[in-house]
Amino acid sequence: MDASLSTASSDASAPTLRSRLARFFKSYLVRSLLQALFTVWLVLTVTFVLIRLMPGNPVEVFVDRLVSDQGITREEALAQAAAMFSVDFNAPIHEQYLQYLGNLVRGDLGVSISSTNTPVIEIIARFLPWTLFSVGLGLLISFILGLLIGMLMAYWRNSIFDVAVSTLASFLSSIPNYLLPIILIYLIGVQWKLLPVARMRGTYDPRLTPGFSIEFIASVLLYAMLPVLTYVLSQVGHWALSMKNSTLSVMGEEYVNAAHARGLPQRRILVAYVGRNASLPLFTQLALSVGAVVGGAIIIELFFLYQGIGVRLFEAIGARDYPLMQGIFLMITLSTVLANLLADLLYSQLDPRVRLGTGK
Amino acid sequence: MTTATPSLPQARRFTLPRLGGIWSAIRRHPSGAIGLFGVTFFLLMAFVGPLIIPEPKVNVSARSQPPSAAFILGTDNQGKDIASQIVHGARPVITVALLTGILTTIVAITLGALAAFLGGLFDRVVNSAANFVLTIPYLVAMTVLASFIRLNSPITQALILTLWSWPVLMRTVRAQVLSLREREYVEAAVALNLGTPHIIFREILPNMASYIAISMILAMTSAIYAQIALITLGLVPLSDLNWGKMIFSARTTGAIYIADTVWFILAPVLAIALFQWSLVTLARSIEDVFNPRLRSGA
Amino acid sequence: MTHQPVLSIQNLHVEYTARRGKVKAVRDVSFDVFPGETVAVIGESGCGKTTLALALVRLLARSAKITGGKVLFQGGKYSAPIDVLRLNRRQLRAFRWRNCAMVFQSALNALNPVLKVSAQVQDTARAHGEHDAKQIEERALWLFQQVRLDPRRVYDAYPHELSGGMRQRVLLALGLLLDPQVVILDEPTTALDVLTQRTIIEVLKRLREEMGFALIFISHDLSMAAELAHRIVTMYAGNIVEIGQVNEVFYQPKHPYTLGLMRAVPNLSGQRTDLISIHGSPPDLIDPPHGCAFAPRCAYVQPICHQQAPPLEMRATDHASACHFWDQLPILREMPALQPKAID
Repeated sequence: MDASLSTASSDASAPTLRSRLARFFKSYLVRSLLQALFTVWLVLTVTFVLIRLMPGNPVEVFVDRLVSDQGITREEALAQAAAMFSVDFNAPIHEQYLQYLGNLVRGDLGVSISSTNTPVIEIIARFLPWTLFSVGLGLLISFILGLLIGMLMAYWRNSIFDVAVSTLASFLSSIPNYLLPIILIYLIGVQWKLLPVARMRGTYDPRLTPGFSIEFIASVLLYAMLPVLTYVLSQVGHWALSMKNSTLSVMGEEYVNAAHARGLPQRRILVAYVGRNASLPLFTQLALSVGAVVGGAIIIELFFLYQGIGVRLFEAIGARDYPLMQGIFLMITLSTVLANLLADLLYSQLDPRVRLGTGK
Repeated sequence: MTTATPSLPQARRFTLPRLGGIWSAIRRHPSGAIGLFGVTFFLLMAFVGPLIIPEPKVNVSARSQPPSAAFILGTDNQGKDIASQIVHGARPVITVALLTGILTTIVAITLGALAAFLGGLFDRVVNSAANFVLTIPYLVAMTVLASFIRLNSPITQALILTLWSWPVLMRTVRAQVLSLREREYVEAAVALNLGTPHIIFREILPNMASYIAISMILAMTSAIYAQIALITLGLVPLSDLNWGKMIFSARTTGAIYIADTVWFILAPVLAIALFQWSLVTLARSIEDVFNPRLRSGA
Repeated sequence: MTHQPVLSIQNLHVEYTARRGKVKAVRDVSFDVFPGETVAVIGESGCGKTTLALALVRLLARSAKITGGKVLFQGGKYSAPIDVLRLNRRQLRAFRWRNCAMVFQSALNALNPVLKVSAQVQDTARAHGEHDAKQIEERALWLFQQVRLDPRRVYDAYPHELSGGMRQRVLLALGLLLDPQVVILDEPTTALDVLTQRTIIEVLKRLREEMGFALIFISHDLSMAAELAHRIVTMYAGNIVEIGQVNEVFYQPKHPYTLGLMRAVPNLSGQRTDLISIHGSPPDLIDPPHGCAFAPRCAYVQPICHQQAPPLEMRATDHASACHFWDQLPILREMPALQPKAID
């Protein structure tokens, strides 16, 4: 039946290859994918330019340091650097660029300078998941909580609840997210002494062995609690306020009134008519907020000494470990682009109007 | 003044409300008044405060003291008065924020207006660039950049910060220009062939003054956010005292775990939060006053 | 035709709370609707038509309050009259749509954009205890066919895939899903092109014969009222100023406001009459005038009109008007020698 719909609307007699291709590229999924690929390529290229071509770029700095510290020749130093970055720096620049892209496709991000020649990809594989886990969990909780609170604020607008939450939310969202840990550590660890904050470092109790045991999972959750709480507190106010405004405008829509007129149960109207429509604009914001939360996360981890990728990034910066810095930056950015893509796809699933030409 | 310019349909110009109007605006928007008060307070503190309040001095006999009458926020681990550090640490932060706000506004308006007017390839390039910048976790990018670019002057800092803060305002300007362009007084100007710069600067921008003010304030908040992050991490080699540096030294000396010296780190955090809140509140109220339709949810 | 009205509106009052005070949007409105009958409520925008319609199913905005009167309903499972205004939440929910379906003015926005038509059909049925999805689908497809839609395609479509006229007909079909005794249509054709308007009028005519529901429609489209209605209710400033059989009202209006409305539109049958618009604007409903509310705009005004509000009284068979000088109004057109429309 979908077919009859599409032919009726386009008035085309038979779908030619060109019209099929045009439809394929117009579909939301394909467009989002292409956009994401383009962003990734741009990130890779800009990074390459910064690392290799800018005056005072890291490769030059690294080579100069080797020459002056170890008294070796420039050629030897370049060879060492080449081993670290997995790129032959004596080759013409376009070949270096192709090598660099080729390495990335194969997952070769070079070798870490500071941690005794460990491949960068191994370090990232060990620490990035913890960051993604805590950031993802925090974002998910804050989003869901924000939607619920925002809807309640809209339903009870101008009540004490609404006014109190609005005020609190507007203040909470003015504190830079990476400074919240200071307040949390002070209140929870020092003032109320609820958690042994100073001892809770890392991602789980080091005495436990990782596995699917209840103790291990509990420990993982406990150790992730403060970072996650930080992400939730820094985001929830924003979501709640957006949801409130969005819900208020949807509640004035004719289809909500019409649903009441049809005698639909209150709960069904709240969820499928008000809630679903009101949350749509928030999903587009979700995509954008991923980058901001990940950015704050690298500092937040440092305050809690949560052993994610953020702590590694600082060690890398401190040790001038350029291959590791480059790898971490690329992988974080890649994760963000991916998360964006996911949010986009989720949005397209929720709003049929953006699913252009996705007829089966 | 009478010139031979053909008369255009009168544009709705941005005008400052009269004094009585200001008072009634304050009464109708009490939070805006609080925001304005907060912003003024911090600006005075940053630029006039250091002239009145003496510079904090090392005082070994009064190290790590809790708040008292002599030191209302206590002292740090070198015996320096925290309250006075807050006053003296404000100016560098606010200067960079102001610079970034101005730079962002200039860049965003230029790109946004041109993108809307020229359209075509230029529009597409600017838009992709904005999308690109918005996708990248910019704090991560900036920390990496800061590790090999020297950010020691306020101007370089502002430039780097602007690199990440222009897209949001650019999009707003572009959308606004696109919609304003359809209005009759702009159409009239186009018909009279008055030239793109004339149309942008004489006909369109004056109608967007409130948007621009709001966006500049918001650019300041994001500049403060990123700037303090870099300083807190010790990535900006600043010798001046500032709020971020206070947080950095408090963090590295573990001040946060000791109840008595907690103000060493809490005071700059709260100062930043209050300043940010004042800015945001002020921006929201400007929006309320000048574009009431936008927020009424109708 | 039974002589028990399916809906009996008695002395209904509705007020809105505004910053300046109470807006008396509906004032002392009473009329009956009999089974199978079509009543058109006409008047300018702001005269209280839509408020009246919303009050009948208690869907008024939060700022509005029903301050008096009764809305008695008899039909369906209610063999004795019940007051809609006193139904509890659950009874009210059941009453809406099952007994009385209200189809909204803006068809473009009356469907949830994120749910397929099928889901909204099923939602509606399930809310009223109909759980046989297959049977409901068949009924919906049949109804879509009745309103001249491509049933399968529309049933599986999202609202944005349908045109305005199609959505309006979907809503109409949806309104008839549960076989209600009363259907209220608020400006059913306003936003539509002439051809679609035509279709909807035809469809309504046929379906009310087949299904026998009573129809209340709110409109300022007099030609549509003339074609569909058995009886006309004219509202002005929250009051009913005239009510009567369609031919009576159209050919011999007994209120100068109705007369003015008739003259303000071109004659349907092509006879050229003077096109006169009514001067002035409706009165302030926060502080309505003491005498006749229409007096300031009336061409036949006398001193008494400003002091004493005329009562709504029978002036002819089944024809009431609220005018002191109803008998001095000119006869608009000679009544044709037709039988008045009968209700089956």
